[in-house]
Amino acid sequence: MGILSWLGPAERTFSRGGIHPLEYKELSADCAIEAFTPNSVTVPVSQALGRPAVPTVEKKAKVRRGDVIARVPDDGLCIHATVSGIVKNVGRAPHPVLVTDTAITILAKADEAEPEFPANEDWHRLDREGMLEKLKQGGVVGLGGAAFPTYRKLTLPQDVSVDTLLINGSECEPYLTCDYRLMLEEAEKVVLGAWAIAKIIGVKRCLIGVEDNKPQAAQALRDAIAASKPSELSPAVDIEVLMTETKYPQGAERQLIEALTGRVVPRRGLPMHVGVVVQNVATAYACLEAIRHDKPVIDRIITVSGLGVRQPKNLRVPIGTSVADVLAHCGGMQTEVIKVLSGGPMMGRTLGDLEVPVVKGTSGLLFLTRGETDLERYQPCISCGECLNVCPLGLEPNRVSQYVENGRPLETEPFGSMDCFECGCCAYVCPSNRPLVQFMQVAKTAVRSRAARLGK
Amino acid sequence: MSEQTPQLHLAYGPHVRRGRTTTEVMWLVNLALLPALLWAVFVFGWQAFAITLSAVAGCVVAEYIACRVTRTPVTVGDGSVVCTGILLAYTLPPGMPLWMPFIGGALGVFFAKSVFGGLGYNLFNVALIGRAIMMATFPVAMTTAWLEPRYQDLGSAIDALTGATPLAAMKDTPAGVAPDAFAGVPQDMDMWLSFLLGLRPGCIGEVSVALIALGAAFLLWHRIIKLYIPLSVIAGAAVMAVFSDLPLIYLLSGGLWLGAFFMATDYVTSPATARGQIVFGLGIGLLTGIIRNWGGYPEGICYAILLMNMLVPALDEWFPPKRVAPESGAPS
Repeated sequence: MGILSWLGPAERTFSRGGIHPLEYKELSADCAIEAFTPNSVTVPVSQALGRPAVPTVEKKAKVRRGDVIARVPDDGLCIHATVSGIVKNVGRAPHPVLVTDTAITILAKADEAEPEFPANEDWHRLDREGMLEKLKQGGVVGLGGAAFPTYRKLTLPQDVSVDTLLINGSECEPYLTCDYRLMLEEAEKVVLGAWAIAKIIGVKRCLIGVEDNKPQAAQALRDAIAASKPSELSPAVDIEVLMTETKYPQGAERQLIEALTGRVVPRRGLPMHVGVVVQNVATAYACLEAIRHDKPVIDRIITVSGLGVRQPKNLRVPIGTSVADVLAHCGGMQTEVIKVLSGGPMMGRTLGDLEVPVVKGTSGLLFLTRGETDLERYQPCISCGECLNVCPLGLEPNRVSQYVENGRPLETEPFGSMDCFECGCCAYVCPSNRPLVQFMQVAKTAVRSRAARLGK
Repeated sequence: MSEQTPQLHLAYGPHVRRGRTTTEVMWLVNLALLPALLWAVFVFGWQAFAITLSAVAGCVVAEYIACRVTRTPVTVGDGSVVCTGILLAYTLPPGMPLWMPFIGGALGVFFAKSVFGGLGYNLFNVALIGRAIMMATFPVAMTTAWLEPRYQDLGSAIDALTGATPLAAMKDTPAGVAPDAFAGVPQDMDMWLSFLLGLRPGCIGEVSVALIALGAAFLLWHRIIKLYIPLSVIAGAAVMAVFSDLPLIYLLSGGLWLGAFFMATDYVTSPATARGQIVFGLGIGLLTGIIRNWGGYPEGICYAILLMNMLVPALDEWFPPKRVAPESGAPS
């Protein structure tokens, strides 16, 4: 990269660190999105950052796809039935993050007529408040993984001024191709969703960032912009697609903001403090579905991949579909699988139970074999400094890990433990195989629990 | 599912790795050191190889015993202790008795590595502590067991050198009188060229600057070392070379290049950031010059590196990486 930068114009990217892991996207990149509906779904009540929703249906109730089945008290964010059928149970069930959670199990009835969610003709005349209400009713959350309620993210405080909307089509995690397929197959809805978000936050400029390993996606978006003319809607929004270098973690919020706008979010600040709001392409798509079609977030597109699954696919599944059902639909797994992940291989979590459901924040299910992932022991830090070179924030994972190992996690703040967003670049390059992200986690937990004890 | 479910492991991410391990890094370093050893065998005979084996054996034995005694996993295979043995041997005169390197290696590993907790925990360069112990223990052999390099008549027996190494000869010459020839250095070749190639008396692995550079290029190609430390070591020494009557020969003599590329760059005992590494390297170069010019020994790189090793924790503290994001700016 150093030498390349002398040869030509620098590629658009963030300024420090980053890695180039093997992509493995070819496993599923050419698989068109395929719909799959299981016989039953288990929909957890905790699917957004914040308080869990409370079930509003009881056992044996008849529900139609799209009906509200749980609602967050006071707040009103909704969770919906994702198939039409009978509520079989309301009770504890496996959850990909919380281990177990209250969930509503619905048995699908094949003879039910499915609601169609037609488009409202006047959707774009809806005002800001009307649109936000639809996002809340539709249960729209950030689908990039964080699952932050979108209506809250788009309700900006009075004292900040935002001038640019960024739509994140980076998809920098290896293996994952669901955002790529979405941009390719549903480019128009992504573009119009971006326009709607821009209208809500009142900006005239929108940049869509796509890594340069996905030129077809960028072209599809440009074609969609030319066809749907968001600059002729009212209000006019200037939407532009910008290619970025393919480098992990290009899709992380701060890194994308720097790559596309050159602005650096302060350590304790948020994107809006530098005049920017970031939304994932899948969230933009979900916003349009909620606003134009009154279709809540009841489906999600996931990538099923890894060398351990027989038929890698990009699937559109109802929220609540179990991993086991998805796996059976993809031909089952090889016996050499040692890890099943929810999410990408850099930041995803391992699953120990295949009965866990796909939730709103699930971007992929990966079945990794021994050749792709490892279970090695770790060794002492040899101070090679590789983690310092790749950290996109300029933190010191090596020293955090040494302090934690020596029982001093409370002293790690000067080395950046509280700023770490756990992208995992450090652990990816560590020759001693050290679980540096986990050391960061230990440090953060210790610092936070001390702060809680002191009543801060 | 009818098929048997595999055993699923729970672990924290990331779940993919670049896949270059410490063990691979260490064996690549050993590979990069090989050309200099082949050259040593060529100019000094099989004695050079035997000394290297002896030093490696001493280091490996000490490491093995330490691991067994402390009931920790035996780390002999990780290549690091073999590297220590090779580097120690490279700093020894080729004419020394074979049992001495074994003792030096074993004591070096014990005192500089094992007692600190093994790989990753040592403060000082292990090979150089071994050499320092040998300087104190076997001073005569360490300073006189030089061999004359063979270069024309390869069939001839290797002669013990009666004179001194070039650095010692320069040190003994009055200031302002540049020696026009050194014992054991070919007269029919440009002096700088014979120093570059390694046709001069000296320690086993230090003589051929060209082959050390070749090994270093291999490590740079594999991105195992960076140039910050080696270049600043040589830059620091170059500043001190102005006090010498033969500045170029001054820089091509002794263990400067071996130390700059293979010892000062030891991950464990060098700073982690570029700025720290530059200060570290300059310090080594300048200290080397100070010891060479005004100290009691003809060569100073060994003690210069050991002295700067002591500063590494402080350099890591003083030169942390620069944070990307400003402290605040958020209205809150």
